[in-house]
Amino acid sequence: MKNLLYKEFRLALHPTSIIFLTLSAMLIIPNYPYYVTFFYTCLGIFFICLTGRENQDLFYMMLLPVRKRDIVRARIGMSVCLQCLQALICVPFAILRQSFKMPGNQVGMDANIAFFGLAFLMMGLFNLAFFTRYYANPQKIGKSFAIGSTVIFVYMGIVEAMTHFVPFFLELDTPDPENLTKKLLVLAVGIAGYAVLTLTACKKSEKELEKLDL
Amino acid sequence: MSSNVLQVSGLCKRYPHFALENVSFSLQPGTITGFIGRNGAGKTTTLKSLLNLVHPDSGEIRFFGMDFCKDEFAIKQKIGYVSGGISYYPSKKLSTISGVNRRFYADWDEDVYRRCVSRFQLLEDKTPSQLSEGMKVKYALALALSHHAELLILDEPTSGLDPVSREDLLEVFLQLAQDEQVTILFSTHITSDLDKCADNILYIRSGKIIEDAPRDAFLAKYQVVQTAEKPDASVIGARESKSGWTGLIPTGAPAPAGAEILKTDLEAVMVHLEKEA
Repeated sequence: MKNLLYKEFRLALHPTSIIFLTLSAMLIIPNYPYYVTFFYTCLGIFFICLTGRENQDLFYMMLLPVRKRDIVRARIGMSVCLQCLQALICVPFAILRQSFKMPGNQVGMDANIAFFGLAFLMMGLFNLAFFTRYYANPQKIGKSFAIGSTVIFVYMGIVEAMTHFVPFFLELDTPDPENLTKKLLVLAVGIAGYAVLTLTACKKSEKELEKLDL
Repeated sequence: MSSNVLQVSGLCKRYPHFALENVSFSLQPGTITGFIGRNGAGKTTTLKSLLNLVHPDSGEIRFFGMDFCKDEFAIKQKIGYVSGGISYYPSKKLSTISGVNRRFYADWDEDVYRRCVSRFQLLEDKTPSQLSEGMKVKYALALALSHHAELLILDEPTSGLDPVSREDLLEVFLQLAQDEQVTILFSTHITSDLDKCADNILYIRSGKIIEDAPRDAFLAKYQVVQTAEKPDASVIGARESKSGWTGLIPTGAPAPAGAEILKTDLEAVMVHLEKEA
């Protein structure tokens, strides 16, 4: 796996994915739908897969002494690294935003502990929607990303709406450390959900790639 | 354990408008086998099926006595697949691609790689997109040879190359087979290349192997004849040319009256057999 990840970062990584990591700083924008930060992470993953198609990455990988399932694990492994790195870089900016002497985010969820849990869940849903379709037909990557993006924006819409109307979510949209237990619970559920969704995406994608004729 | 480097038995793959039917053949160590057939005959599909790049519907493929599906990892360590030069990562430097490749092969030999780079005059700070077609093939070969590939599967490696580059490559193939006992399966429709280097000929037409024989034995089956007038049906695949009609007759069969016997080569045999088909 170490060699596969080395290959991913040395050959497949698209420069925009690194640039998008710096967009974690968007969490200090006073009023902004912060989930968009993680949409950019997913956009970066799309660029990696898109240039991978142009660079015949799958064909290259198939010639190396690796199994087909390793190809999927490497790509999703790199995506997990980028998504976790994005979240990690977001943390200091979220803390900084909370230190501002101004009201919380007026156009969406505050950048607090629960937000990270919900953002992880969003990325897990993207991984499931995008990768399973991508490995079923890598040539139709635009369609896979359109579906993945739709999942993200529908999820964002639902979650943001819930923070206005659902009592439990109303308590989440508050500065830390208010309602800390509930927020930590959402963070834990979000991370667990992300792990389950991403592992499911990996297993399903492996099966799809196994069926694919190059 | 089988002494065959590659043993293919009953390989079948069906598409809506094309099918590989019961493809069977074997390769002996240190031999060069020319895999010929016209465009669309099934050469690339066969080669891709060997490496599971496309999934055969049925059949058995054994490399070095091992089943590909069970021992894919071990088999890939011992083979090199070159498909008309490298087409992947055209904007990355050769040194970067090689740096990644070497990590995947237990038997990667840096000295061999350096020798190949020097022998093929490859500049490692260039990218594949900056290489000529001939140099791309040479780079792909350098990668394959550096992990001591015992079997090279080459899909149209000389297509698009000028005659001098083709001769250079054929020289390399011959040296590899003779000096290092590398086995080469070499698909091409440029049959003159095989006149110079192939030990065996594998001839595929419409997804079926119609000939699997030593090159000399294959050529010895036919004679090329030229007549002034259109010959009768006993001449196989008669074609008209500026200087009359040419076709094949089975060796030993009586030639048509007034026919001139021409030199028999793979191209002549193939074009007339295809015409007859």
